[in-house]
Amino acid sequence: MTATTRIVEVRRSVLKANDLIAAELRDRFERAGVCVVSLVSSPGSGKTAFLEKTLTLLRARGRRTSALVGDLATDNDAARLARSGAPVKQIVTGTVCHLDASMVRSALEGWDLNDLDFLFIENVGNLVCPASYDLGERIRVVLMSVTEGEDKPLKYPTIFNSADLAVITKADLAEAVEFDLEAATRSINTVRPGMDIRIVSAKTGQGMNDLMELWDRRR
Amino acid sequence: MHELGIAMSIAEAAGEEAARYAGSRVCAVHLRLGGLSGVVKEALLFSWDASCEGTPLAGAQLVIQEVPGNDLEVAALELEE
Repeated sequence: MTATTRIVEVRRSVLKANDLIAAELRDRFERAGVCVVSLVSSPGSGKTAFLEKTLTLLRARGRRTSALVGDLATDNDAARLARSGAPVKQIVTGTVCHLDASMVRSALEGWDLNDLDFLFIENVGNLVCPASYDLGERIRVVLMSVTEGEDKPLKYPTIFNSADLAVITKADLAEAVEFDLEAATRSINTVRPGMDIRIVSAKTGQGMNDLMELWDRRR
Repeated sequence: MHELGIAMSIAEAAGEEAARYAGSRVCAVHLRLGGLSGVVKEALLFSWDASCEGTPLAGAQLVIQEVPGNDLEVAALELEE
């Protein structure tokens, strides 16, 4: 006797579990009136320096800000960011190369979101995997530094496509590395026409105040 | 490279669906994989056997249909009765 086979239709989305948690988080964030901004970039593009400056400037404006920061190992970034005076929590992912919504939810246990105006979530340095995971954020920011090459957006189109804002960091080094802003803008616009692009330096403060206006407008 | 985690999520989702058909063995899992999903077919196939090991799906084949868009969906199960 031969075994018979049959096909049953399932149609079940695999990332659905994450999407459901992200939707729940988004709902909680909206009800608490907290504006959640996530940061994604490759390792070493200056996410932490950017965030440190951002937290400091927002706190100086009287905004209640906090941050979650993801890394495979160490709580170095959380310690560094805590110098801004903002409440910060490290999410150590172990070998996982991205944050997902359930990690964010667990990290927020015990936090009263009503006490916050802004929550920044710094993802693991990675331009690939974070694109697939909704964290419930209102604004997703993709960062690239002037030292990375103007064609980075062409190489990683998915993350640029999934983000709401592109921030080019380390503007203070632009001249030294002969960074071509026009070429970079062209690359970004190729994968994401009309994308809002800002160029900043966390070190000199260039462009940072304009971004503060933007965060306040989106709040 | 997050395909191992994705493969494990696929195995988990497929395993839950398969539990409804007690007495049947899953011989294949059909997946719809969108070109914009950010998931690489080859890496997924590479991770598949390891993800199924020790589960009721062990030995099941992963059949991937590449589609436009960002779908990542367990489309169907092939069951042997």
